[in-house]
Amino acid sequence: MAPANMPAIETAGLVKVYKGGVRALDGITFQMSPGELFGLLGPNGAGKTTAIRILATLLVMTEGSARVAGLDVSSKPREVRERLGLAMQTPSLDAFSTGRETLELAGRLHRMPSASIKRRADELLELMGLASVAKKLTGTYSGGMKRRLDLASALMHCPEVLILDEPTEGLDPQSRVALWDELERISRTGTTMLLTTHYMEEADRLCTRLAIIDNGQIVVEGRPDELKRSIGADTVVLQLAPDQRAAATQRLGDGNGGRSDGDGPTGAIERGPSADGQVVEVRRLLEGIVAADAVAAHPGGVTLSVPNAGTAVPDLLRRLESDGLRVSGLQMRQPSLDDVFLKYTGRRIREEAADQPILLGW
Amino acid sequence: MSTVAAFTMETYRLGLRTIRRFVRVPANWISIVFFPLIQLLVFSQLYKDIVQLPAFGKQISYLAYLAPGQIAFTALMAVAWSGYGMLVEYRTGYLDKLRSYPIGRWSILAGEMVPLFFQSAVMAGIVLIVSLLLGATLVTGVGGFLLILVLSGAFGIAFAGTSFIPALLTKSEQATSTISLLLFPLVFMSTAFVPEALMPGWMQAVNAYNPVTFIIEAIRALMVTGYDWSAIGKAVLSMAALGAVLQGVTFWAFGRLAR
Repeated sequence: MAPANMPAIETAGLVKVYKGGVRALDGITFQMSPGELFGLLGPNGAGKTTAIRILATLLVMTEGSARVAGLDVSSKPREVRERLGLAMQTPSLDAFSTGRETLELAGRLHRMPSASIKRRADELLELMGLASVAKKLTGTYSGGMKRRLDLASALMHCPEVLILDEPTEGLDPQSRVALWDELERISRTGTTMLLTTHYMEEADRLCTRLAIIDNGQIVVEGRPDELKRSIGADTVVLQLAPDQRAAATQRLGDGNGGRSDGDGPTGAIERGPSADGQVVEVRRLLEGIVAADAVAAHPGGVTLSVPNAGTAVPDLLRRLESDGLRVSGLQMRQPSLDDVFLKYTGRRIREEAADQPILLGW
Repeated sequence: MSTVAAFTMETYRLGLRTIRRFVRVPANWISIVFFPLIQLLVFSQLYKDIVQLPAFGKQISYLAYLAPGQIAFTALMAVAWSGYGMLVEYRTGYLDKLRSYPIGRWSILAGEMVPLFFQSAVMAGIVLIVSLLLGATLVTGVGGFLLILVLSGAFGIAFAGTSFIPALLTKSEQATSTISLLLFPLVFMSTAFVPEALMPGWMQAVNAYNPVTFIIEAIRALMVTGYDWSAIGKAVLSMAALGAVLQGVTFWAFGRLAR
């Protein structure tokens, strides 16, 4: 058992170069406290699975060091395995064992006493909604049932650290949400959890802290809300009533050298008839609240970037109203992890099927 | 728990699973005994009169001559499928899951090898029983029957590497089955079908080192003449030598999974 103040998982300068020269990990360093639910978020091929496999003692690293539950994965792999629950990207089950046999074997190999194996298997089968199919071969299970059984077998021995690689990959939206609930429940019991995902929503909902990983390196690390705040601004979208748009344009015409709608080909159509006018008008009204360059036009209204939408919006609405501009719709949006990913990598994450292990044959 | 006790427990638990995997798919054991039984039935009729050649000595029928070779061949068929099973579990990730459990690396392999011993023995036993029903002899009785099963099981373990090594190194089903097929000529050139005296000179030379011939001659002695300890000893030694090398390489190939 690791002392309470020791990191549950700790890596330092983790490098993995596969035979053939592929540099899957290029110096990964992170720490997890006990009880934390930490996520590695990144696109396919970023190195997430490689990192997991090293921590799970399935793969040897090229450089660096890693400790799980305070134990070095290179020098004490067996002790690490005793404290570890692992569920890989595709549920790894023996198709010709039943659900119960799968759990019992996991219990046996973790040296649990017979009585507690039976009790724990019953408990997990019930919890995962698999009690009715416990005596059926896992080969007959649906994708969601396989996931749940795989997770149950990882939980059999009440591991100190649970490592999950793409835990909801390939699940339908309903099963995904159900599994999230389950993972949150497990996390509340104090189990340290490390998971990888390429789903923004999943990382956002589950992780207390996460690291964005790209090209084998951690680009940024922090709490989801912290990372989103680092983007610097919330987004406020204002829809203006049609007559107000005309009014705004009118006023623009008075004060802006008679520039009329649609006279430039650029962006005129997509911005709507009075887009430029609204921007200028709103900019003028918002002087002192919002920086001028944080206002952009969109069809039927304007989009603003403000540091804190919650406090800015009441003031904003008051000013618009006092000037006679009627707002027909209002949306506030906080930055998403997608925005965070975009900021730090310059790319958007593509939510496609997770990469399969490379299976090279002859 | 002592190392030996741990190894025994792990092998037992993993072995039970391997056996479940085997018996729950009838195609597994049917495919193993099918080919040897067909050869036994068809060739014994097709070449019935060949047994009159002097080289066959005091054989009562060609079927009786064929039986030992088909028993050994059955064990080889069991071997041919064994690496395949591990390959499937490599693909599904189950092998990784086993590797993530706090168990010995040797236990994972032993969990495949020990069941292979029983599979080879039982499958060979089925072919032996069919042979006896069709008129082959077993002069050594029950003792000889059991000894043939043990030899067949050991033969399976000795040759297991020919399936596991290509499976672990190439991770390709095609390569694994092709290399198993390459073993067939070893059977065809052995004394499975005709006595050595009827072979061309070069084939006789090969047979002086053919481990398949050694096991066949040991089984044949137990069925036809009695406990020929020199033939049995030769079979055991050749299997021990071959088994030690192939099992060693298999363990090395298994370790490479972590690279």
